[in-house]
Amino acid sequence: MSEYKPKLVCFSCKFSWGYLRDEDTLSSKIDNWMPLICTGKIDATHMLEAFKAGADGILILGCPEGDCHYQDGNYEAKKRVYLVRRLLESVGIEKERIRIELSRDPEGNRIPRLVEEMRQELAKLGPLKKGSMIEKKPKETIKARGGK
Amino acid sequence: MAKPKIAICWLGSCGGCDEAVVDMNEVLLRVAAAVDIILWPVAMDFKYDSLKGMKNGEIALSLVNGHVRNSEQEEIAKLLREKSQLILAFGSCACLGGTPGLANLTTKEDIFSWVYRDAPTVVNPNGNYPQTTSSVNGKVLTLPEFYDRVYALNDVIDVDYYLPGCPPPPYSVMYAVSAVLEDKLPPKGSILAPHRALCDSCKRNQSKPDKISIKEIRRIHEVEADPDTCFLAQGIICLGPATRDGCGEACMSINMPCRGCFGPVEGVEDSGAKFISAMASILDAESDEEVATVVNQFVDPVGYLYRFSVPASMLQKKRVEK
Repeated sequence: MSEYKPKLVCFSCKFSWGYLRDEDTLSSKIDNWMPLICTGKIDATHMLEAFKAGADGILILGCPEGDCHYQDGNYEAKKRVYLVRRLLESVGIEKERIRIELSRDPEGNRIPRLVEEMRQELAKLGPLKKGSMIEKKPKETIKARGGK
Repeated sequence: MAKPKIAICWLGSCGGCDEAVVDMNEVLLRVAAAVDIILWPVAMDFKYDSLKGMKNGEIALSLVNGHVRNSEQEEIAKLLREKSQLILAFGSCACLGGTPGLANLTTKEDIFSWVYRDAPTVVNPNGNYPQTTSSVNGKVLTLPEFYDRVYALNDVIDVDYYLPGCPPPPYSVMYAVSAVLEDKLPPKGSILAPHRALCDSCKRNQSKPDKISIKEIRRIHEVEADPDTCFLAQGIICLGPATRDGCGEACMSINMPCRGCFGPVEGVEDSGAKFISAMASILDAESDEEVATVVNQFVDPVGYLYRFSVPASMLQKKRVEK
């Protein structure tokens, strides 16, 4: 278990996080980092997709409350996170695996710190439980598809 | 010329889809005159063995309804695939897993414990559970194997066309059957229903305000819903924005919100996630407390958003420690 390193996807809005820094330099310090324009763009489908693709957790960094360039994208993201958490809990995935922080850090130094912090919390939870999302079809039926 | 052979078959099904075929009324007689129905367990007496004796591809079209959860259903699905030129997944269970797919939110073990041990009406002092094989008086009895989860039809066999709905409305059944008979088929893999969302054809859409903003989620049985106003504008969760059109607004017309039986719109895999994104934009809440309050008013989100589609969705089944 000591070797287990949780995989984390971090989405952050370019309007508040790390915009003063060169993106390449910053991204070398953060695995699976997705800087984007407005966290309101993150659909609930993207969140589920991240888990399906093998993420153990998702961290979303949006603009401070009342400060969205597009009026309310950060609030939209927050509401989606709360709703998705309820879905995840129903299928046995802990709600702590998805976190949103609405704040600002132009230099972006906090991003790797927040990622590391969340990664440590995820390590306590352990890997995502096995048995769904990823393993859709039983092997024998895949082989038999189309009568082949 | 010999009449084309058609099979109508149920797997894990309630019989509602077969009823939808009967609901074609007199048209069914015309269909029956134009085709040879070689299998229809719910209505006619045929044996699976005679199906096994047929040549591969001898059946022109098989309408298969119901989900797959046991080895018998899987076997019949595969047999029909082998003998049929075209397979139509008929109804929400075959297309998406359907309401029985909600069983994926619990485990096989929990289902067996409840049904054969814990339910208050069960008397089972010897702790008997169904076995795939058992010996009685020297004879071996067999039962189909109950799988760990519910599958949609295309998890098990290759499917040519999909006709969603719980059940599909009779006019869409007629459309599907006549498309085959007249050889006017859309590309393989098509869903035989409109591409757009239900809201596009909903009459209540005109009553929708420019911006819907709800502070409180209300459930349909708790309120007297206005029969002409958009449900979402009334704070009642209606899955119209994320559900495929084509049902003929059966629920709307009896003042019930859309429950999503037609599944996601074209190009969308997971209608529940899409609905969450849409829903977030109409919830009037900003602070953490406000958001938590309104989101917690949503009773059983997974059951509501995926009532017909857990097996085909991105959630698929409950995760358990293994």
